Amino acid sequence: HSGLSKDLSSILNDADDFNVIIQVGVKNNIKEYRAHSVILRARSAYFKSALSTDWITKKNGMILYNKPNITPTIFDILLKYIYTGELDLKEYQDEDILELLVASDELLLEELFDHVQDY
Amino acid sequence: MSSRKQPKGKIRPPKKPNSADAQFNDNWDRLAQAIREIHKKNASILSFEELYRNAYNMVLHKNGDKLYNGVREVITQHLEEVAVSQVVPAFPLSGASSSQTNPNGAGGANFLKVLKTVWEDHTTCMLMIRDILMYMDRVYAKTANVPLVYDLGLDLFRDTIVRSQNYPIQNHLLEVLLQQIKLERENEIIDRTNVKASIDMLLELTDASTKDTVYATDFENKFLETSSEYYRVEGQMLVGEYDAPEYMKKVDKRLNEEEQRVRHYLSQTTEPKIRNIVEEELISKHLKTVIEMENSGLIPMLRNEKMDDLGRMYKLFGRVVKGHDEMKSAISDYIRELGKAINETVTSNTTAEGGNAASGDKQTGATVAVRWVQEVLDLKDKFDKVQNLALSNDKAFQTSFNEAFEYFINKNSKSPEFISLFIDDNLKKGLKGKTEEEVDSVLDKTITLFRFIGEKDVFERYYKQHLAKRLLLGRSVSDDAERGMIGKLKVECGYQFTTKLEGMFNDMRISSDTMTDFKEYLDKSVLEKPKLDLSVTVLTSTFWPMNLSASPRCNLPPELTKACGTFQNFYLGRHSGRRLTWQSNMGTADIRGSFKARKHELNVSTYQMVILLMFNDKQDGESLSYEQIKGESDIPEADLKRNLQSLACAKYKILVKEPKGKEINPGDQFNFNNDFTAPLQRIKIQTVASKVESEGERKETREKVEEARKHQTEAAIVRIMKDRKTMEHNLLIAEVVKQLQSRFMPNPALIKKRIEALIEREYLERATGDRRVYNYLA
Repeated sequence: HSGLSKDLSSILNDADDFNVIIQVGVKNNIKEYRAHSVILRARSAYFKSALSTDWITKKNGMILYNKPNITPTIFDILLKYIYTGELDLKEYQDEDILELLVASDELLLEELFDHVQDY
Repeated sequence: MSSRKQPKGKIRPPKKPNSADAQFNDNWDRLAQAIREIHKKNASILSFEELYRNAYNMVLHKNGDKLYNGVREVITQHLEEVAVSQVVPAFPLSGASSSQTNPNGAGGANFLKVLKTVWEDHTTCMLMIRDILMYMDRVYAKTANVPLVYDLGLDLFRDTIVRSQNYPIQNHLLEVLLQQIKLERENEIIDRTNVKASIDMLLELTDASTKDTVYATDFENKFLETSSEYYRVEGQMLVGEYDAPEYMKKVDKRLNEEEQRVRHYLSQTTEPKIRNIVEEELISKHLKTVIEMENSGLIPMLRNEKMDDLGRMYKLFGRVVKGHDEMKSAISDYIRELGKAINETVTSNTTAEGGNAASGDKQTGATVAVRWVQEVLDLKDKFDKVQNLALSNDKAFQTSFNEAFEYFINKNSKSPEFISLFIDDNLKKGLKGKTEEEVDSVLDKTITLFRFIGEKDVFERYYKQHLAKRLLLGRSVSDDAERGMIGKLKVECGYQFTTKLEGMFNDMRISSDTMTDFKEYLDKSVLEKPKLDLSVTVLTSTFWPMNLSASPRCNLPPELTKACGTFQNFYLGRHSGRRLTWQSNMGTADIRGSFKARKHELNVSTYQMVILLMFNDKQDGESLSYEQIKGESDIPEADLKRNLQSLACAKYKILVKEPKGKEINPGDQFNFNNDFTAPLQRIKIQTVASKVESEGERKETREKVEEARKHQTEAAIVRIMKDRKTMEHNLLIAEVVKQLQSRFMPNPALIKKRIEALIEREYLERATGDRRVYNYLA
């Protein structure tokens, strides 16, 4: 089980076969993430629609996606959760956790939302 | 719907200028605009992220209902435009809808094509709208208990397009669909994809009040109604124009077409309904007409053995309730009719020949009986074949055919005798030209006829008589075949019947052993040897059907009387306490006759021998009168006449009769025919062969049967009462019938008489309290 999430997090961190570039944040606090549309769509109803052929814009074969209203700090947690299913809320500050709650609601990550809310 | 009442055009937000409202208005304007772009197929310029976030924010700020209603308004507005700009212009030309088929068909097809496009566009857009409003679906729609946005889209499509209040879209749609189906029924090629698209659309839409599909509520009933009418008219037309086989092929084709149609573009739920309609209109309503079609209906099919057509009718008519019943009763009636015709040829034959029944004429022998049985067997074969090849061996049909056979076979009162004669015929000359297997299969079939006989006891009586003659006259060809037949009868009638038959066989075997012993006895004995070879068959009187209790009158020649005496002494010496009576009416003799041309060995009956020996003492040309022969031989009159007939009037004329003629009359003179010639050295003078009984004999047989039935009935009553001790009248009658019906059908009056006889003889008594109840008296 831990082996699986370890491998999955390595897909997130070291992969060379990503096909989505997600730009997160605004102004000075911007970060680009590389990810796999197949994983995002499988794990999240939001991304299933957002990354469907009806909506995507591509550049050089890469899907480009902007998510300005979420900060890189929060998106880090989200992405890690999406890939591995793992999350340790103790590591984070209260205000981050509140932001995480809001973001998981917007992105319809219901399990995550419930988990954070209980916390 | 509340949104309908709002003015068309932009949604007007409430006039309460605060920043939240302004924010909402701004967001909503952008979202509404985006939905319009989606409708214009311009989605590529839109950002999912923004639109989603927009809607998300609105719901988050408790503006879910405004958003929801706004979306409803925008979609409705769009669909109204679609109706006006796309659907209405595609309406097929009205007025021409029923007469000009082809142009109208094309117009209709185009209409369906437009509708298909409109529907596909709508569902595609709704999927995209659903994407960006996902948050609204998950959070708002759930708590507000309103349909998800995609379903809202379906409802709006239903109300704005399919069931538009403003334009007669629904009428056109239904009319075109029905028109297309009608065209296809009339062998036009239609574009099924367009029809299917519209049908699928109707299947996806739900009727709000019934919760059923719009297909079911709006289309299906109309489809079924028009189909009913269509096939009602077609049925009337087809029965008028086609013969039965063609009619059935058309119906088959129609059923197949409708099934295919449902499979290709209607709902499976319609399949049994449309099938019922075709079956009702094309089969049920014309059952009798088709069955009774003059030169092509059921009877002509049977007459001409049209197995394919019969099979088709069986399959087709089996689909409807009364179908097989009608067929069954028509076929059964036909069997009865054919059976009646077979019976009639026989009765007309026998009455015509009744006058000279004893003359030995071929027609009066067993041939009438054999022909009757053969014709019945042929009929049976024919219907077995029909049963096998066309009716899937349907048990219900078999039962009804059997009843028909039973009916006409029992209409012929001579059938038990005929069947026995037929078996007799086969066992006598069966092997000539037929293999043993063939004989066996004929006998097997005969057994099936035997089963149809109601009066099995009458058959048994005849069978015993015929078997006795076969055995005693050595006419049976194969012992195996005889025993095989007895085996078959044992299965049908039980052992009490066959033990007697087996007893007859036993007597034959023991007699042959006895004769070997007798010859040995003579060789060793000091007695004078008889001047003739005597062969004796000793019959046990209870096994054999004839009355053996006394010797018939006949003056035997002295040598024979002496030889008989020698055998009698030998036999009684071995079996004391037995009584032998000589049956001179059944024996045969081999005698040598010297004629002018040559000597012949004559095989004759004992009676004939007695008659011929009288001429030994006569000079050439000296004649004997009928009265002289009768007086000297003492042979009973009927037997004497028959034997004289065989000698003087049949194929070999050993005696010459004056005056000539077929009948023997008092005063006739007989001469030995010295001029007799025949190609063969050995001649068999036919004793009168087994034949259909004369009226007198029949009456006698009948009386014997009645007598036997009395005993069997009494035996059954006593058996039952001994077991039950006391029983009510009707129950007793029912039980007696049950026990006896395998042999004959006893009538209640007969049973009642027997009960009374048993009361008289004090086997039974009436109960003191209730005269309808009997007690058994031990």
